[in-house]
Amino acid sequence: MSLDWHGALNAVIHHPLFGIGITLGAYQLVLAAYDKTRWIFLQPVLVSMLVVIGVLVTCGVSYAEYRKSTEIMNILLGPATVALAVPLYLNLRRIRQLLWPTLTTLVIGGLVATCACLLLGWWFGAEHMILMTMAPKSVTSPIAMLVAEQIGGVAALAAVFVLITGVIGAIFGPALLSACGVSSPEARGMALGISAHAVGTAVALEESEETGAFAALGMSLMGVVTAVFLPLAVSLVA
Amino acid sequence: MLLRGLTWLVLFQLLGTAINHLFLSMLPGPIIGLVLLLAYLMLRGEVSAPLSEAASSLLRYLPLLLVPPAVGVMVYAADIAADFWAIVGSLVLSVLIALAFCGVLMQKMIARQARREEKP
Repeated sequence: MSLDWHGALNAVIHHPLFGIGITLGAYQLVLAAYDKTRWIFLQPVLVSMLVVIGVLVTCGVSYAEYRKSTEIMNILLGPATVALAVPLYLNLRRIRQLLWPTLTTLVIGGLVATCACLLLGWWFGAEHMILMTMAPKSVTSPIAMLVAEQIGGVAALAAVFVLITGVIGAIFGPALLSACGVSSPEARGMALGISAHAVGTAVALEESEETGAFAALGMSLMGVVTAVFLPLAVSLVA
Repeated sequence: MLLRGLTWLVLFQLLGTAINHLFLSMLPGPIIGLVLLLAYLMLRGEVSAPLSEAASSLLRYLPLLLVPPAVGVMVYAADIAADFWAIVGSLVLSVLIALAFCGVLMQKMIARQARREEKP
């Protein structure tokens, strides 16, 4: 009797649960490796992404198919964003005490983050389309995708740049902030939230609740400010 | 407990989506939902137990939820490769500059405010 190994393998690979299965598996594997080694390059999002891409390419599954099978996780991303209001609220008193430092850092820091990227990109010779896609890279991906499209970039590519930014910020951010002598949890949180959005906020939440609250604050304020003012600024310049 | 909290979160996001569709097309629904939930919590003056349970369970898995959109990189591999160094260089340098700048600025401002409050 010959068993239909090939058919069985195909049935598994193209099952709607396959995408979720490899995502959950890769994430836990990376998390376990990170807990054991504490090696900062084992950023869970980045390494899980690489593992998942590796599996998809090996099995010949397209991104569209993977995306469809992980739809439920994309849907949960919405309520998770809404849930950031809770740590934000719990630290509201502290935020109110530091209202001026927070707002000043937001406006000046946000400008520096966006302008530095545009200037460097222009200087390195990136195309206009790529520049416009990189401009909103410091904000959370749903906003970045909308804004990029409005100012003449590519939405899906914006999500990737947002992610690269977030991952770099998460890997090097905490060490860089310590090296610059930034020790207060509020300042660390704001810096991570403004420049590295959700991935930075996830790292900040690991440091402490307070850091996480300021990161969530920085991320949401930066998102709102970018969504409103970046298209305006671009239409004025162009 | 968890389900009731989750229902609240979903409700606020749906409300945000409705508002996004009606008035504020530049802000995505979840962000409007976040602002609405924050306003609601400020009005109520406390976080109910189900809501805090649902929020903390979801936020614990936030990195996991970000993996699928990240895998989208594989579709744009060729575009990224064409401008690879310009993209990576400007993204990496600008995020590092922004991080250091924001951190130092915020810390300086906090210290200044603390000093001002000491000598009224």
